[in-house]
Amino acid sequence: MNLKKIYSKNREMYRLLGIMVLWLIFMAFTQSKKFYTGANFLTMAGQFPEYGLMVIGGMLCMMTGGIDLSVVGSANMASILCALTAIRLYGAEGSMGAGGYILFFVIAVIVGLVVGTANGLLVARVKVPPILATLGINELLTGLSVVMTGGAAISKFPKEFCDAFSKNIGGLLPMRVLVFLIAAVVIWFMLERTTYGTKLRLFGTNAHVAEFSGMNTTALILKTYITSGICASIGGLMMLSSYASARADYGSDYTMKAILIMVLGGVSPNGGKGKMSGVITALVLLKLIESGIRRFRSVSDYYVTLIWGAVLLLALVLDYLSTRPKKAKA
Amino acid sequence: MNKKMFSVLMSTVMAAGLAVSAYAAPADSESVKKAADEGWEIAVVPKDSTNPWFVRMKTGVDQFASETGVDCYQVDTGTIDAVAQAQQVKDLIAQGVDAICVVPVDIESMDSALKEAKDAGIVVIAHEGASLENVDYDIEAFSNEGYGAFIMQNLAEAMGEEGVYTTMVASLTNGSHNEWADAGVAYQKEHYPNMTLLEEMPRVESNDNGDDAYNKAKELIKAYPDLKGIMGTSSFDAPGVARAIQELGLTDQFFTSGTGMPADNAELLKSGVVKSLTLWDPAIAGEAMVDLACKVLAGEAIEAPVNLDVDGYTEMNWREGSETVLEGQGWITIDAENVDSFGF
Repeated sequence: MNLKKIYSKNREMYRLLGIMVLWLIFMAFTQSKKFYTGANFLTMAGQFPEYGLMVIGGMLCMMTGGIDLSVVGSANMASILCALTAIRLYGAEGSMGAGGYILFFVIAVIVGLVVGTANGLLVARVKVPPILATLGINELLTGLSVVMTGGAAISKFPKEFCDAFSKNIGGLLPMRVLVFLIAAVVIWFMLERTTYGTKLRLFGTNAHVAEFSGMNTTALILKTYITSGICASIGGLMMLSSYASARADYGSDYTMKAILIMVLGGVSPNGGKGKMSGVITALVLLKLIESGIRRFRSVSDYYVTLIWGAVLLLALVLDYLSTRPKKAKA
Repeated sequence: MNKKMFSVLMSTVMAAGLAVSAYAAPADSESVKKAADEGWEIAVVPKDSTNPWFVRMKTGVDQFASETGVDCYQVDTGTIDAVAQAQQVKDLIAQGVDAICVVPVDIESMDSALKEAKDAGIVVIAHEGASLENVDYDIEAFSNEGYGAFIMQNLAEAMGEEGVYTTMVASLTNGSHNEWADAGVAYQKEHYPNMTLLEEMPRVESNDNGDDAYNKAKELIKAYPDLKGIMGTSSFDAPGVARAIQELGLTDQFFTSGTGMPADNAELLKSGVVKSLTLWDPAIAGEAMVDLACKVLAGEAIEAPVNLDVDGYTEMNWREGSETVLEGQGWITIDAENVDSFGF
């Protein structure tokens, strides 16, 4: 009885954990030598924060019943601006100190603020549907990035930041994961321990009721899209450190991946529902499956896309089956 | 020993060496045998495994594996994406392969991933990535100057050595494509005084995509009535331009040449829309990469001319001023006559 209660309290997460355990057992039987190595887990951990950040920010937008399709655009814009600023301040061959790191984060936050404000105003004030508003902003950002770089990658800039954020703390915890965890804790706190979270869920469940109950919905939407923009821009910094270069079209498939993870993690596309724990579980699960599949030579990477689709549909169907009202007993 | 005798002796030795090297099969090479015995794992990472070019490369790698018993294979990358490719290389590093052979999408992001590979003691062989820093060696089917000039010869022949032309590359950041285009332009300036490069648009991008090449060509033809030819570089450029030529009814008035796969372009060549295409065989390039990886793993000294045991790669020489880039003589012309003889 108790177990059942715990399960039903966080159904999405436990379901995903179940799938994860099955997958890990499967990998243990088939590829244990290549999968269960420290290096492999460190690589996997180092790879997910860049889109993980886009996911935990974008999840807030989805909880309002909206969506943020400008995450990749913001990320690339932030990383390009950082690289260009570093070149301007320190020279292409120069070096930068810790002040430079702080500057990078400040730039990312500013990009996030500007993009989030634009998205938020378009959605809340101009009443443009979020899909179109954020898609438009994304195109605008990508276009600007292409113009700023001439379409080429920027790779000659001081690399201290990239080296610092590619390190593992104590050989165990990648710096990028630490950044991700800090962001995740902040957003978890906003969602679960402040009135913002309650308002967000209320607004997502029924926007009209929220409005008529006297809530400042414009402020709420602005805050949501700004948070998403900042998270995505910091994701851009992680990409900058990971690839030691910035380009307008890096990570172009992260938008779809992010949405997939959100929905899989139990965020309702209709708004109102979503938990940090579920989303993080989905994030880890997807990375485990993706890297695991690559251990099988005979399985093509195309199947990864196919499996994503299947997993997503399965999650949606399970969600429908488990939440539909039970038939009244005769 | 007098001078004459010495030179006769030398040339005999060299001829014998050539004869041996030209017919050497990878399976007979010492280092390849060792690689098979030791079970070294060699992974080949293409740009985009759905592209016919890299499908062909896979057949070469697979053939190498089945003929020699070396544990080599080409990974599937899905569609072209620099970040995804870099992540896949990092995955291979974590997996602990012995050598990685890579055809990079984007030099910059790949270089930082390859640094990790080198740090982990993995042998790195690149192809079409001459400006990569963190590699053991990069092999090119030919010198970029040689191939660029070769494409230009084909284009000039089709254009009757006169008229305005421009160049097309996959992207302005692509290493080899731009060098070919530069070399083609340089060759034209030297040898074809009646041809001129379109000043307003000296280089356009096709994004390694046939539709983009086709649309770009149509735009160019509309915007610049004087334009008479496009020099393509990626395997989608010339075929894409050819579609535009065909659709606008400009056969024998507008010309293109450049890299292209035979089977895909047989109709274009036979109908005369394109006079000739240029190529090297990606399957052989794949085999050459794996062969070189075996040599490096076996600790063999790499000294020019390097013999990689496959046609066109038996006499690899250093690119001028480089200690990592090896160049062969692997180019071929495809025209209406021989297009069906390649089997791919």
